[in-house]
Amino acid sequence: MGDAIVLSHLTKTFGETTAVADLDLVVPEGGLYGVIGPNGAGKTTTIRMILSILFPDRGELQVLGRRSALLAKDRIGYLPEERGLYKKMRVGSFLAYMARLKGADGPDLKGRVRGWLERVSLAEVEGKRCEELSKGMQQKIQFIASVIHAPDLLILDEPFSGLDPVNQRLVRDLVFEQHRRGATVLFSTHVMVHAEQLCDHIVMIHQGRKVLDETMVRIRAKYDPRSLIVEPMDAAADVLALGRVDGVLSVRKDGAAWEVGLADGTDPAALIRTLAAAVPLSRIEVRRPTLEDVFLGIVAGKTPASDEHARLRAALREDGSPTEVRS
Amino acid sequence: MKKVLHVALREFLATVATRGFIFGILITPAVIAVMIVVMPRLMREGPPKVEGEVALIDPTGEVAEHLSEYLRPERIAARREELKKKIDDATPEALRVVAATTPQGSSAMRQSIDAALGDAPKIEVRTLDSGSDLEQAKAPLGEKAGTGRGVERGRLAVAVVHRDAVVRAAGQDKFGSYDLYVRGKLDDRIEDEIKGGLKDAIVAARIRASGLDRALVEAVTHVDRIKSRTVTAEGESATNEIFNVMLPAGFMVLLLVSVLTSGQYLLTTTVEEKSNRVVEVLLSAVSPMELMVGKILGQMAVGFLILILYAGLGIAALVSFAMLGLLDMKLLIFLLLFYVLSYFTIAALMAAIGSAVNEMREAQTLMTPVMLLIMIPWMLWMPITRDPNSTFSTVTSFIPPIGNFVMLLRMTSTSPPPLWQALLSLVVGAVGVVAALWFAAKVFRIGLLMFGKPPTFRTLIRWARMA
Repeated sequence: MGDAIVLSHLTKTFGETTAVADLDLVVPEGGLYGVIGPNGAGKTTTIRMILSILFPDRGELQVLGRRSALLAKDRIGYLPEERGLYKKMRVGSFLAYMARLKGADGPDLKGRVRGWLERVSLAEVEGKRCEELSKGMQQKIQFIASVIHAPDLLILDEPFSGLDPVNQRLVRDLVFEQHRRGATVLFSTHVMVHAEQLCDHIVMIHQGRKVLDETMVRIRAKYDPRSLIVEPMDAAADVLALGRVDGVLSVRKDGAAWEVGLADGTDPAALIRTLAAAVPLSRIEVRRPTLEDVFLGIVAGKTPASDEHARLRAALREDGSPTEVRS
Repeated sequence: MKKVLHVALREFLATVATRGFIFGILITPAVIAVMIVVMPRLMREGPPKVEGEVALIDPTGEVAEHLSEYLRPERIAARREELKKKIDDATPEALRVVAATTPQGSSAMRQSIDAALGDAPKIEVRTLDSGSDLEQAKAPLGEKAGTGRGVERGRLAVAVVHRDAVVRAAGQDKFGSYDLYVRGKLDDRIEDEIKGGLKDAIVAARIRASGLDRALVEAVTHVDRIKSRTVTAEGESATNEIFNVMLPAGFMVLLLVSVLTSGQYLLTTTVEEKSNRVVEVLLSAVSPMELMVGKILGQMAVGFLILILYAGLGIAALVSFAMLGLLDMKLLIFLLLFYVLSYFTIAALMAAIGSAVNEMREAQTLMTPVMLLIMIPWMLWMPITRDPNSTFSTVTSFIPPIGNFVMLLRMTSTSPPPLWQALLSLVVGAVGVVAALWFAAKVFRIGLLMFGKPPTFRTLIRWARMA
């Protein structure tokens, strides 16, 4: 199997600011890749360069085996972050127009448009003007417009922004479906949770540079902070006493629960049994690192100030609220 | 290429298949048609019915009789007919021939004479004593006129002939004249009649007093108005002054209206695509260049539609006046070529502007230079039509994008430039188009994805360098 996207030493500057610096990336065919990073990290610029909407100042790229996406446009589906519809155009003709622009003309075009509308349960809006639709409906139409020509490569820039949870789930299912069909999917998001739910490979970008490029599985293994989360049955129990248990490095209160740090070489499974025997626990689990943790761990050295840390953490959550996010 | 056509087709339909366009495009011809139908009726409307008197204080005693003869309704009607004839003379030959030779035409003419007679004012001349009090004579003028049923009655005017109006006072070079006091709101045509009558009567009295023969004097002072004939390399033909002015004007207006309208539409749709955020969706399917060219082509079709509609109207009018022969087919072809060139130049600039701004309001400041560019030919109109082959005219016809407008003006003038100049203007125009498209493509590519502060022209030029 070949590679759908190959970027080497890609660099793009806008005046003084460097949006993307020396970026290397390989996305194999059939991959489901997430590009993550806070707002302004360079995700959209990278995507626009992949699509030849912008041209890099330096570096080479290959898309679907071609030297430029322009040569493979009809095989690429793109859902930009800034997306809209022709207000006055009717939904059916808009989708047909987009399909034609993608070279997916043909006698069955109308049927395909109708089929897609039925799949997202919007069959009745085919003759309506785009401006009459609700925002969620418009998002669905935009998604259809990016996949109606059954692309080999699907690039989604912040596909979940502005969607309510129900529609987020719908879009996620549609993305999975495209992936199952065999399409390579690359999507960007600044909300780490979305990436965790969707991707099998993560690329992290921070300040225009790639800081991480790993599979989800390896990220979990590599960045395992080796800690357990425990909650005692009795709130007044002496949890701190667990600190004296062999193999425990630290005990720290984290909200209603406690975080127990493991010393190197300790087997979590054995320790769980020991801890449960020491103090009656209502909950005990291995703490899995979130992408947020991974990201912050990577960039922490570069941004020592703690308020910067907090700002980044907020930027990686959809609404900026400081609630704990777990996978 | 197929994608460009898809874009063009959408652009064309999105513009043309709207209520606004259909209404706007039909309303102008409709207004013109109404004008054509209504205006002659309004103009043929005679002066209001007038019955009244002109008080005359005439110390010379020579004027009254001639004046009342001059103001007899039959004479007034006859003079009006004569005026009409003069107007007819100025109208195209074809029309006149139709009116004069056909039986219906001549009977229509007679009818209109009768109609004019019926409407002619009944003006009596009342001679007052030369010693009468002027104030007393004027008094009825200020009174509320007895206007019953739309007919003016009563005293219309008071004329006071000077004592030396007919025979010069001793030692004077000049004759005296007369004073005229008229009622407020007196129809200007009635006033003209009275003035004409007084002048005619005084002149007649002077001639009599000098012992001359009036017929001889008139014959001696009369020279026929003639029509000039234009001599060109192809031969000579009657100069049609009206047509000489109308043709360049018509062509200029056609060119400007179609270029401006479609250019404006292009600007609007580009701004709309940008503010709707639909543009990046499109850019994933077509390149900025394809998008821009598609849009420009689509709007060009709109411009052609306007051009064909209006030019078609003009040609239909010429056909109906049997004057189609005056129109040079070569000119029509050049009109189309110049349209394409000037449209592409303006459209490219419009597309660049549209891509750079976020909403129409911001486009206005950037539009001003383009609008000025378009207005320049209007300012140059007079100097160029007056002297189509001056150095100034020649030079300006090779400066894109106004060169095409100037060349069109020159070509429709009576002394058109040599063909090589027209062709050179086309070539220079084409070079201008390429330059404008190059600039626009650069700005378009960058501008489409730029949101935020509206750029200045300097920023646009920087973008063009950057891309």
